[in-house]
Amino acid sequence: MLENIGLMKGISGKMNWLNQRNTVLSQNIANADTPGYRPSDLEKVDFGGVMESSRNRPRINQVKTDGAHIGASTKMGDSKSKVTKDVYEAAPAENSVILEEQLLKAQETMADYNMVTNLYKKNVGMIRLAIQD
Amino acid sequence: MDMLDALHISSAGMKVQGDRLRVTAQNIANADTAANTPNADPYRRKTVIFKNELDRASGVEKVKVDRIVEDKGEFRLKFMPSHPGADENGYIRLPNIDTLVEMMDMREAQRSYEANLGMVQISKAMLGKTIDLIGQ
Repeated sequence: MLENIGLMKGISGKMNWLNQRNTVLSQNIANADTPGYRPSDLEKVDFGGVMESSRNRPRINQVKTDGAHIGASTKMGDSKSKVTKDVYEAAPAENSVILEEQLLKAQETMADYNMVTNLYKKNVGMIRLAIQD
Repeated sequence: MDMLDALHISSAGMKVQGDRLRVTAQNIANADTAANTPNADPYRRKTVIFKNELDRASGVEKVKVDRIVEDKGEFRLKFMPSHPGADENGYIRLPNIDTLVEMMDMREAQRSYEANLGMVQISKAMLGKTIDLIGQ
């Protein structure tokens, strides 16, 4: 039910995206010594745009009664991971993973995740407050 | 994509670095393993090559030890006429191992292991934050 609220949809979408990014960064760090490996990163998603589109969408969605119906999906799709093109440096074995850079990104992901989960808590708290009174 | 995927990937990375450390330890332990007969080869330095491969059980790509190859470098020579492995000039061949290089390799494996461990901690913290959402 909460997913129908635009902000909640945006938040869960962002959490999903951050999780995926964390997986991609883990992959990069695990392959820091694999010959020929190039690091990848997740494509950025414009979450402001997601919020905007969810706000403009009609509040009532049509019900899908048949598998062949094309309904307006309320779920956000998975982002694609892309191989980073312009790398800072590459080792002789053609590996271009820089641990510092990857760990920095991971920390950034964790900080964002903290923020988003806190935002979610605040939101649920507000809704609860509205229900109680 | 699953929250635990990141943990699986990082643990595969740690395992691989552990294997690398094992091979390095073997090299250092055998730094003086000479041959007992004049024409036999002494111990050769070994190195590990990694590969990123799809793990079908979990559906994610995990790093693995591709193969362990031998270093083709020159053997060291030492003048030891009384050794059973000495040639007609009195030299024995010793493994192509430089302990300094092995120590550096060990350090690098240790640092990579730590980086993977850092990633595990980050993933764990994120997972914890998600679980915290239940407890409110």
